[in-house]
Amino acid sequence: MPEPRGSTWVVIAAFNEGKVIRDVVAEVVRGGWSVVVVDDGSRDDSGACAREGGALVLRHVVNRGQGAALQTGVDYALRRGARWIVTFDADGQHVADDIPALVAALEDADVALGSRFLGKVEGAKQGRMALLRTATAVSNTISGMKLTDAHCGLRAFRRSAAPALRITQDRMAHASELLRKIKTSGLRVVEVPVTIRYTEHSMSKGQGGIQAVRILFDYFFRA
Amino acid sequence: MIIRILLLVGLAATGWLIFLRRNRLPIHIMTVFGLIAAGAVAVVVPELTQRVAELVGVGRGADLVTYIAIVVVMFVLLHYYTKFVELHRQVTELTREIAILRTEVDRVAPPALQARDERVDQDAARGIARDDRV
Repeated sequence: MPEPRGSTWVVIAAFNEGKVIRDVVAEVVRGGWSVVVVDDGSRDDSGACAREGGALVLRHVVNRGQGAALQTGVDYALRRGARWIVTFDADGQHVADDIPALVAALEDADVALGSRFLGKVEGAKQGRMALLRTATAVSNTISGMKLTDAHCGLRAFRRSAAPALRITQDRMAHASELLRKIKTSGLRVVEVPVTIRYTEHSMSKGQGGIQAVRILFDYFFRA
Repeated sequence: MIIRILLLVGLAATGWLIFLRRNRLPIHIMTVFGLIAAGAVAVVVPELTQRVAELVGVGRGADLVTYIAIVVVMFVLLHYYTKFVELHRQVTELTREIAILRTEVDRVAPPALQARDERVDQDAARGIARDDRV
């Protein structure tokens, strides 16, 4: 990319990630990207830790969910003139070294989605992978897309794609919402192999089978 | 019969509460009082609901009242659910606006940023999230 990395904004939504957020942010900041963390009303010191890591921190005064927090970060990045926007999970499961490939993929695509199934997964349990494959299959059926990984939090999109990708699902159904909006808006999408590092911490924050039911409810019954 | 007294007292209490909180349009109040009056008539003269029930093809008057009540309750539930979802959307928008505004204010007035850091740290030390204080 000829553009400086500073005009790529990495948006991280954090809820009670005080344990890991500083290192996650520091890893991304070292890459030279602009980083905005949205502290989604955490009950711990996530915001202060993210600031120590070198991020610009926005704070939701009340918890609104990951989807809402991501959109807040995207709005802010756009205000600051972001040309490319990357969403990145706060729990340490993503690798900052995957960001250049995602942004580079935006040369001839509007949206680049990370795929752990094209890339690598470290430390995952069998059951989790099965759940994710099922979720991807369900998601592909709903959205009519053919993706290898429907729920990877690591994505990138162009500034021009942001209005079409506006998240209204405050909680976890935003991932499916984004896919639907990519599909209906006719944006060019490409999947990029990424590495996912599962840790005990990221597993504890992950979504289980019960949550999947709630996500489906949100997706179908909430505006 | 005791049930009649209970139902009439309930209807009267509902009417009284609505009368106390009358800040809606007269048409709303009149509609609600109309419904309460209809309820009272149904309690005092059950033969009337019986006749209407037979007219529309329901076996008993009480059944007819139950069916109508269920439909009305479902309508009211849906109405409030819609409002609830809308309210959520508005709270998110307000939260977002505050988050962005505060950051922009801090960018032009850095001392405020420091003061907030201390406040957030104090809150964190005491295990209090901001939403607990609201």
